[in-house]
Amino acid sequence: MFTQYFGHFLLNRGIVTAHQLQSAMDQLQSTHVKLGILSVNAGYMTAEQALEVHQAQARVDKRFGEIALELGYLDEEQLQNLLSAQKESHLLLGQALIDQEALTLNTFTAALNEYKQENYLSDEQFAAIKNGDIDVLLATMLKFEDIPNIDLHRQYISLLAKNLIRFIDPNIYFEVNAIPRDYQCEWLVSQQMTGQVPLASGFSLGEMAFLQIASAYAEEQLTELDAIARDAVGEFLNLHNGLFLVNMSGQGLELELQPQVIEEQVPLPPTVGSYLLTVYMSGSSFDLILSEIS
Amino acid sequence: MTQRLKIMVCDDSALVRKKLKTVLEEQGYTDVREAENGEIAVDAVKADPPHVIFMDIVMPVKTGIEALKDIRAIAPDTKVIMASSVGTQSNLLEAIKLGAFDFVQKPFAAEEIVRVLAKVTKEEDHA
Repeated sequence: MFTQYFGHFLLNRGIVTAHQLQSAMDQLQSTHVKLGILSVNAGYMTAEQALEVHQAQARVDKRFGEIALELGYLDEEQLQNLLSAQKESHLLLGQALIDQEALTLNTFTAALNEYKQENYLSDEQFAAIKNGDIDVLLATMLKFEDIPNIDLHRQYISLLAKNLIRFIDPNIYFEVNAIPRDYQCEWLVSQQMTGQVPLASGFSLGEMAFLQIASAYAEEQLTELDAIARDAVGEFLNLHNGLFLVNMSGQGLELELQPQVIEEQVPLPPTVGSYLLTVYMSGSSFDLILSEIS
Repeated sequence: MTQRLKIMVCDDSALVRKKLKTVLEEQGYTDVREAENGEIAVDAVKADPPHVIFMDIVMPVKTGIEALKDIRAIAPDTKVIMASSVGTQSNLLEAIKLGAFDFVQKPFAAEEIVRVLAKVTKEEDHA
């Protein structure tokens, strides 16, 4: 998920164009991260040292790791760590952008540092984020106005990110937005959780996002908003809320699930809180509604 | 191999019914009926009781727990297997007390369905 945040950062800063970013994102599946990028990212080597090894590779038929070991830039343990980290996706993005000459290794490294500074991240936080810690990523990236029980909202959203990545789409990006005036839901899939802290949850979606979630969850290509598609989105919300309830129960908060409700062309429910969380997926987006019922 | 058990899938979700039915048919069960809620299931059991029912818990009109109570009274030999979503496990204890045969977790894993049906078959063979 950090890949999406870092990609947006590069785009917003004008470091890459939308076309370059999209093309790099498309390449991610087939990109193989080079050890040079990994070693600089891990702080084992400087960008200059990585360049020196790359230049040496042009002269001798040896792998990056072998040369770096010979030059004393890496030790065995570091090399093993790097080899096991070769699937890190933000590095895949960096690799793809470097391969299409949208940026250099130096620019990439500098941009990562800027990202860290701009978001006031500690070394520990940034390391956790780069290693895929979604809780830390969202806790540092999503800014909420004053909301009661903010921790509950954060836990709910963090779990949603994990479930979306697991069941629907690995490329998601969240944004906290104020509720626009006269907001109307094209489709609203909602579910209440009753108990000590009653909660209303829901997805407000257009047809494209509806079918994207439904198809991914039903594991078949759905093209119509029929009973199967509606059930698929309802079941996904139910599954997510169920897992949330288990987590809450572990913390001593007992809640019970109510049946899901699916409605078309409705205004937001009167219980809605003070924000919407917009979830961007590959090609579509929807809004999450989460509020306490008074 | 064709299996002889008559099975009912009771769930308000068409997707869940379709997926479970597919798993059952792949296992050779040809007599698979569907019910959209507990009330429809109870009426169908009165007419022709199946050997096994996979029963959802949270449903409109009549919940799985209410339907379980009725079915235990109407057709005590029918084995009711509760299908629990994450978060509805607290209802399972009540269901077991009321005579549910077993439970499976949603989303369904085919192996879990096979396991529970093997248990039913074993009991039927010894009955």
